[in-house]
Amino acid sequence: MFTAIVSASTLRDALDSVSVLVDECKIRLNEDELVIRAVDPANVGMVDLTLEAAAFESYEADGGVIGVNLGRLEDIASMADSGDLIDLRLDEETRKLHIQIDGLSYTLALIDPDSIREEPDIPELDLPAEIVPEGAQIDRGITAADMVSDYIRLRVDEDEETFVIEAEGDTDDVDFVLEREDLIDLSAGPADSLFSLDYLKDMNKAIPNDAEVRVELGDDFPVKMHYDFAEGLGHVTFMLAPRIQSN
Amino acid sequence: MTDWTEKYRPSSLSELRGNDSAVDDVREWARTWDDHGEAAVLHGSPGIGKTSAAHALAADMGWETVELNASDQRTADDIERYAGRAADNATLGGSAGADDSGGRQLVIVDEADNIHGNYDRGGTRAVTELVKRARQPVVLIANDYYEMSRGLRNATREIEFRDVSKRSIIPVLRDLCRKEGIEFESEALERIAEQNDGDLRGAVNDLQAVAGERDSLALEDVVTSDRDTTVDLFPFLDLVLKEAENPEEALQASYDTEETPDDLTAWIAENVPKVYDGAELARAYDHLADADRWLGVVRATQDYSYWRYAGDNLAAGVAGARDGTKGGWTRYNRPDFYHSSSKTATHVVRQIARHEGTSMATARREILPFLASITRLCKPRELTVQMAAAYDLDTDHVSFVTGSGETTNKVASIVEDAQERRAELVEEHAAGAFATPTGDAANGAASDDGGDAGGAAGAVSGGDSGEGDSEDDEADDGTMSLDALGTGSPNGSGRDATEGSAERTDGDEGDIGTDGDDTTGSGGDTGIDGDDTAGSGGDTDGDDTDADGDDDQSGLSDFV
Repeated sequence: MFTAIVSASTLRDALDSVSVLVDECKIRLNEDELVIRAVDPANVGMVDLTLEAAAFESYEADGGVIGVNLGRLEDIASMADSGDLIDLRLDEETRKLHIQIDGLSYTLALIDPDSIREEPDIPELDLPAEIVPEGAQIDRGITAADMVSDYIRLRVDEDEETFVIEAEGDTDDVDFVLEREDLIDLSAGPADSLFSLDYLKDMNKAIPNDAEVRVELGDDFPVKMHYDFAEGLGHVTFMLAPRIQSN
Repeated sequence: MTDWTEKYRPSSLSELRGNDSAVDDVREWARTWDDHGEAAVLHGSPGIGKTSAAHALAADMGWETVELNASDQRTADDIERYAGRAADNATLGGSAGADDSGGRQLVIVDEADNIHGNYDRGGTRAVTELVKRARQPVVLIANDYYEMSRGLRNATREIEFRDVSKRSIIPVLRDLCRKEGIEFESEALERIAEQNDGDLRGAVNDLQAVAGERDSLALEDVVTSDRDTTVDLFPFLDLVLKEAENPEEALQASYDTEETPDDLTAWIAENVPKVYDGAELARAYDHLADADRWLGVVRATQDYSYWRYAGDNLAAGVAGARDGTKGGWTRYNRPDFYHSSSKTATHVVRQIARHEGTSMATARREILPFLASITRLCKPRELTVQMAAAYDLDTDHVSFVTGSGETTNKVASIVEDAQERRAELVEEHAAGAFATPTGDAANGAASDDGGDAGGAAGAVSGGDSGEGDSEDDEADDGTMSLDALGTGSPNGSGRDATEGSAERTDGDEGDIGTDGDDTTGSGGDTGIDGDDTAGSGGDTDGDDTDADGDDDQSGLSDFV
């Protein structure tokens, strides 16, 4: 059983963070939260999303899992104005998801959850450095890096206590240095890794500009980025494997 | 029933049979990959272990795998998105230190000789670029090395896989029999190996088909289950195109073949220019055109009595077009039954390939023809429903595969039931997301559907007497194959519900079909079909489940 009423903007924020990595996903309808975990087809990027029941206007679920086509669900959600409420209800008889937006009603056929790639277990990673910038700062670094290269270097300068975003192109380079006082927080450690901008650009799209993003970084290790949305009631963790350094 | 080719797929290169030197090359390529960074091309005939070698290699090396199947769309963008991203980056699990792969993964591009055409726009170029810049080991799999562009060939290391000799196939079959606890006559295995000259996968599939349900295997079993239609076909072609003294002789022979006039027309049209010349060829084509017109009439009216006129033309007409008899030996080609230009065909083939984890070519050549004959004209109905559900087919797809008219109620009701079946799967695997408080509602829905289906069947049989008989057969076949297949509900509590509603449907049809007895003859025929169906249907499904399981497993376990 599942019925929920949620604001369009909350639902869209949630879906955006997943759809940057996969086209289809499983949604777990837990009693007190909705959970989505997905890893992209190339085994490189992962998203782990939790939306607490309190983030909904109303939420009733008693466990279970459904498979959805994210593109379609996003299309429907885009029919709502951001202030609108979206009414979601699983129809036990037709086994479809009924979606109502201000008089518009849509019946979404679901996907067999077993046909969707298994969600990964999150590797436990203890990364040495933690940087907390705002979403807007990440956006700035990524946008600038994208002008010159297709990959990006994230590192922490332990002596200077700075977070450095670098990109090296064939002719042009970009450096974006964030000092401790520019950041919400910084705990320095040995951290220096390369990442594909393909992924970071997509993930960046989902990160709100005003979000506090907790970035965990290591030396040639995956990066983790945590942020909240929906007034702190939605939580997203992105994880991205490093690009392989060229010899 | 699990597909033996999956169940016994080698998990290490050392288990791979045949092709020792190619396997050594593969191993050496991987071992030294850090130094050369080249991509490799494994090429050779189908069924000799190229893909198995790639996966076994990854397992040996502790690498994860990403596979770009031919069934995935392969435009430049798609290649970039899937294979390209995988080739640039470490894997999550590996780079997080979950294993000692160091984040390495093997990028496998299946059917690399077949990346072009509408669906692969820009694909060739993208693969060539991928191969050149990849930071992960890439393996391309190809049947025909020289179908690949020169650029691609130059950028890769060639490793040729040869056909697996009969000598190497027999021990594999022997092993399988021992593992499956099947007693066997050596001659039986030899016979299977012979029939599948060079194709190990084909041999294993054949072995499973004849021995899967038994505990002993004798030579007769193999002989009787020989694919005799293909044996009959070539003598028939010889007769029509070369030997028949008069048109009537050819016509008589056409009655004895098991192929349909559609298939015979295709075979003759494909091969007649190899034998006929000039004016006689033109006359032969005239008759083939007439045959084709009659086939069109059959398709439009669904009245199969018109087949005889197609038969007259393709056999007597073509034989009569010849000047005298001809000698010599001709290598007959298999016609392309399913034109890749047809959107419907391509869609169906892609759905099959996707679902079964095979290449498009395999789906087209090795699965679709079987599906087509299993579900011909939608009988047996239950199997047709299962097929439509498994591959998520629409009415036009179902009528394409089965050869039924697109707008018939029969097809529509099959698609309806298939959608219901898919919905049931959504529920079964939902871990109770749809749990209803009462449970009565669900039962009600199921019986409704049964009623609809029965009604539709009744309408069809009422309208057309020829069809009426076939509806009766369905009821039998449906029941039998349901037991044999037992698919559709792999696990979970929903299983009972599924079977319940399926039985209900069968029951209704049984009621409708009142004259069950007068169809014993054709019922027998269909019974045989049903058996085949159960075998291959079971394979397919088992295959799929297993393949998925494996994929998911490896991905997951590497992550923990």
